[in-house]
Amino acid sequence: MTRTVPPGSRRLLLALTLGTAVLVTGLLVALSQLGAGHAGSPEELYAGIPQDGTTLGEAEAPVTVSVYEDFQCPFCGRFGREVLPDVVREYVRSGEVRVESRPMAFLGEDSLEAARAALAAAEQDLYWQYHSLLFENQGAENTGYVTDALLERLARQTPGLDPGPWNDLRASGSAGSELEDVRAEAGARGVDSTPTLIVSGPGGDEVLEGARDFEEVAEAIEEARG
Amino acid sequence: MADDARSRTNGGPLRAALAALAAAGFVISAYLTWVHLVGTAPVCAAGSTGCLAVQTSPYAEILGAPVPVLGLAAYAGLLLSATQRGQVGVYLGLLLTLVGTLFSAYLTYLELFVIGAVCQWCVASAAIMAAALVCAALRVARLPGTR
Repeated sequence: MTRTVPPGSRRLLLALTLGTAVLVTGLLVALSQLGAGHAGSPEELYAGIPQDGTTLGEAEAPVTVSVYEDFQCPFCGRFGREVLPDVVREYVRSGEVRVESRPMAFLGEDSLEAARAALAAAEQDLYWQYHSLLFENQGAENTGYVTDALLERLARQTPGLDPGPWNDLRASGSAGSELEDVRAEAGARGVDSTPTLIVSGPGGDEVLEGARDFEEVAEAIEEARG
Repeated sequence: MADDARSRTNGGPLRAALAALAAAGFVISAYLTWVHLVGTAPVCAAGSTGCLAVQTSPYAEILGAPVPVLGLAAYAGLLLSATQRGQVGVYLGLLLTLVGTLFSAYLTYLELFVIGAVCQWCVASAAIMAAALVCAALRVARLPGTR
């Protein structure tokens, strides 16, 4: 004989299944939202660390990490959001490492607009806060997501940034020669893809290409320190 | 009569369909998990960069685990539920496909409106999950005693 379930208990089972499904999904969504915002605010990350243009950290730090990146490049985005904050907390804050950003802006118009805006923030020594915001708000490559509205919103989210001079500088196109210099330097150092990290110090130079996790970067820093 | 009722409970074709959908979803999740862990770009049709943008977005992980790992677990559970003939299998299938479909809807929303890029693999998985939900619901509807 086949077991038949009384209609009442069937309804109860269905309600239980539905309720559990909604609860579990709610929990997953909450965890997902929480995780996406866990990076912490850029102000907190960079507070008290000296900035000079596109350089972050003490000028006399023994190890220099040069980051060749493009604001549109997805793996640069992942590096900026997931690896860089740990490098800053572990090595830059303690004065062991200084990080130089080298915006390549070679993927398209969006890269160029983003780099100009970031370099304009660099004039006010707020490059890194803006850099983090650009990567947190990264969109799909060459979709035109880098609009004036986005760049201005990020400027408003950068504490201490004076929007007037920032906007004037961004519009002046003066960043062009700076970007040319970066490209020339990249060419001379054999960098042809992003992200590329060059970790240099008394222990020698190491080139890290492509997606790298914190452990790999930390190892290169330890080696460069000698 | 009893035989008829039993064959309906067993839901042969529905269970087979669920197993096939679970297997397909499992393969997609396994590929995306591998791609995430190796740190390479997923193959995306028509040279689209959407898959990479989604995979490298801050939403690609939950509690440090790649999102496709959730898919692996869900599809494995679904496969298990499809092999179970009794009520437990039927309701487990419904629960998993409900969570899967709701969560896929959330992920698709993120792709369209937050990340602004669409990953074809994720959309394929969402479609598979929705189809599995239909099968799982039919299995519940065909339990004896519903009519």
